[in-house]
Amino acid sequence: MRWVRAIVSLVLAAAAFWALDNRHGTFPALGRLLDPFTGFWQNGDRSDDLPETLTVPGLREEVRVVWDDRRVPHIFAGNDHDLTLAQGYVAATLRLWQMDFQSLYAAGRISEVIGPAGARQDLFQRRFGLPWAAERSLRAFREDPSTKEALDAFTAGVNARIRDIGRKGLPVEYKILGYRPEPWTDLKCALLLKSMAYVLASYNQDAAMTVMREALGEGTVDGLFPFAPPLVDPVIPPGEPLDFDPVPVPAREGAAGRGDGPSGSSEARAAEARTDPGAAPDPEAFGSPDSRTRPGAGSNNWAVSGRLTANGSPILCNDMHLELSLPAVWYEVQLAAPGVNVRGVAFPAAPLVIAGYNEDIAWGFTNGTDDVLDWYAITFRDDSRAEYLYGGEWRKTFVREERIKVRGGETVVDRVVHTHHGPIVRWPEEPPFPSMSVPPGAALRWLAHDPSNEFRALHALNRAKGYADYVEALGNWDCPAQNIVYADRTGTIALWHAGKFPLRWKGQGRFVLDGADPADDWRGWVPRGHVPHVKDPERGFVSSANQMPAGAGYPYYLGWDYAAFERGARINEVLAGARGVTPEDMVRMQADVVDVRARAVQPRLIEILQGVAATEAERRCFEELRAWNLEARAALIAPTVFRELWNELNRLTWDDKKTGLMEGMPRPASQVMVDQILNHADGRFFDLKDTGENIETLRDVAGQAFWSAVANLEKRLGPFGDGWRWGKVKGTQLRHLARVPGFGREKVAADGAGQVINAIDAVWAPSWRMVVELGDEIRAWGNYPGGQSGNPGSRGYEDRIDDWAAGKTYELVFLRSADEAHPRIVGRTVMRGAK
Amino acid sequence: MTAILVCLLSMLALQVLTPFWWWIMVVPFAYGAAAARSGGKALLTGLAAAGILWLGASLVLFLTGSGLIASRMAAMLKLGDARLLVPATGLVAALAAGLAGYSGYAVRRLFKAPAKKERS
Repeated sequence: MRWVRAIVSLVLAAAAFWALDNRHGTFPALGRLLDPFTGFWQNGDRSDDLPETLTVPGLREEVRVVWDDRRVPHIFAGNDHDLTLAQGYVAATLRLWQMDFQSLYAAGRISEVIGPAGARQDLFQRRFGLPWAAERSLRAFREDPSTKEALDAFTAGVNARIRDIGRKGLPVEYKILGYRPEPWTDLKCALLLKSMAYVLASYNQDAAMTVMREALGEGTVDGLFPFAPPLVDPVIPPGEPLDFDPVPVPAREGAAGRGDGPSGSSEARAAEARTDPGAAPDPEAFGSPDSRTRPGAGSNNWAVSGRLTANGSPILCNDMHLELSLPAVWYEVQLAAPGVNVRGVAFPAAPLVIAGYNEDIAWGFTNGTDDVLDWYAITFRDDSRAEYLYGGEWRKTFVREERIKVRGGETVVDRVVHTHHGPIVRWPEEPPFPSMSVPPGAALRWLAHDPSNEFRALHALNRAKGYADYVEALGNWDCPAQNIVYADRTGTIALWHAGKFPLRWKGQGRFVLDGADPADDWRGWVPRGHVPHVKDPERGFVSSANQMPAGAGYPYYLGWDYAAFERGARINEVLAGARGVTPEDMVRMQADVVDVRARAVQPRLIEILQGVAATEAERRCFEELRAWNLEARAALIAPTVFRELWNELNRLTWDDKKTGLMEGMPRPASQVMVDQILNHADGRFFDLKDTGENIETLRDVAGQAFWSAVANLEKRLGPFGDGWRWGKVKGTQLRHLARVPGFGREKVAADGAGQVINAIDAVWAPSWRMVVELGDEIRAWGNYPGGQSGNPGSRGYEDRIDDWAAGKTYELVFLRSADEAHPRIVGRTVMRGAK
Repeated sequence: MTAILVCLLSMLALQVLTPFWWWIMVVPFAYGAAAARSGGKALLTGLAAAGILWLGASLVLFLTGSGLIASRMAAMLKLGDARLLVPATGLVAALAAGLAGYSGYAVRRLFKAPAKKERS
């Protein structure tokens, strides 16, 4: 009996210990988590505050960190090395888990943390070659002494923090997921850079376009997806003279069916060239279900010359739209050492300020969205995939072995086959990846795989004193290509569409290319000085909103899939009429919600829909649209109705059977639809294929679209009423990076929409807004969705969201020295090296 | 009472000095194995000491800056009300420690018969 009792109680106690000490599936280890001495209870408000004095091994001199009332660290160091080391320490103090998780994600290693659920995503990252690209770039970083020193110092700073935190101070996500941070490495910084290249420079529709070309003919595709789209106002003002002599561009040659592609959009030509989709290829072979989902990675930037401002100083503005998450994408920081004093936002996982200003200049970004990613169809000699056809010969592939360690599962070993183009991402026998539509068996040629050193460009931008420094810095900016806006205190404004671009024939890479034909390879680069750029233009401002970089007079083809016309058109129309501009005007402009797409088509649609409404809900929706002030306000119902109507109009116009495989395929850009509505109301695209002899026009399609839009909304949102307000329907949210429930922020009611300047949509939105006035004294305003702290238990985790949603920005504290007395300073930390 | 206090203070010291949660099981087990005079007493001592320690500590933290993280954890664990996490923390500790205390006593019983006279 004693034995029984002892054994039973021991077994029970051991079971309790085991249950509390281990994770169960995704359920955390409760004993560790609930422990008030080391568990989540320790991650309270201000638990990530730094003490007043601190020993940080590796520092050569004393570093002083001044904290302002919005928790922004202003770091003052005696040399560059200490500055970057301290930035690493501070970044890791504020955001260690985030930077660590981002780097694991980029490296294709999240299954080490989240288990088998992450294995497929990890495989995609490995096949896509992100770790491979990061390793190649890291070698380039190490060849440049200043980059090497910066990365090594940053890494030393992060690791000093990791050594300091202990179990108690560990960010709460580690406690929940049950793992510990591994040492930071320079490679992780490189991975972050490649991860940004993936977010900003990997979007492509090559697979879908190829399917469509097979089905519809190249002429129709060119008509629906024109190289020179209607309504778009290019980044570089048309008519700006070229300040270079263009180099020759490779010609399109070779295979049958080639020949010079048609230039520009012409519906007549499109209709003529359209072939009936007889023997249609299987779209499943190419398109993954989300192939039409375009990321909302747009951004705005502009700079206004002193000629147009109230006090004669230029003003630079930038808001970068990224997928929102918590912890926030950015954190604010000031970095000062002899020779540099720069302020702005940084990525937690990388040194330097990414976008911001120093004592002389300011700069900011919008994504270039040029085509720097191509797919090459590969002919393998046999199933061993050891050789592939190229230029009439068999070339050898090489294999990079990837080992994906899976927590609680078996290690996945994958042999990634590389050609000279790049890796094969997906084999024909494999299911599609959810994150991208990948042509099976094709090799990926991606600019981000090439060694590059964007850190060197940033290092120089942080220290730039004038226009020449800025232009020189951009010489190292390869990928992702960006519209980098510039303004300085001498009054210069400029914008360079910076990046490395392959020399291409027009349209090269829009479709899957022939991997066996050397003529299809990238052959040379657009010279650095030949990228689209503009300095001090006549009109007194420069601007970009991810649209086509340059118009007809520009000699090189850089891509076709740029952002639609709306934001760029709105920015340019506001600035074209601007006089006596103040920073307050610019802050308001960043919150502008005028929808120029709706403005273009609303009068026409209202005229057509007159008398179409039959039910009470339809009448009220019509009335909302008719009375709409064309602003995307959270409190209005009209934006909800308009978006649904727009979607239905597009669905009925493009997705019906007449275009064969368009179901599930990308739809033409909004400007093409606007052009159809305004100028081709009786055009054949509005005819519905399944109605036989009847020829439908815009009038018929718009009526149908309206009815089904209202019906959809009633089904989804219930009876017409409060629940239809745009702010609620849009459902802006900031999800936690690892999707931990309760750690994000749901239901942010905010004005804006993807196609207006204030581009707050559901998850893509302005991730940092900045306005800089470059006068004798530099003044700047800014805000971002989230907070400086990455600790979900801190009030500083998401304390800026409500102001951000309301379009409010804060004046930014920019100190000249650590000793400067400023009313908004709330704390100081002195860091010293170990004795 | 003294036993509870001694156990509680030992756990507190060990938890502050080392990063391990499981002292709330090891200490009662040791007490049960070395000193407890009955299974019931071993169980109750562990239960009370660990329960009070974790409940008290989490309550202090809840009231001094950990309310926000508690509400996020409550949302994650689908508890509804963040305040429930305080008694839940105490309860988990109490049950684990009680069980450990009792099993400690049960193990000792294997080697040493219960001495009735000792108890009177």
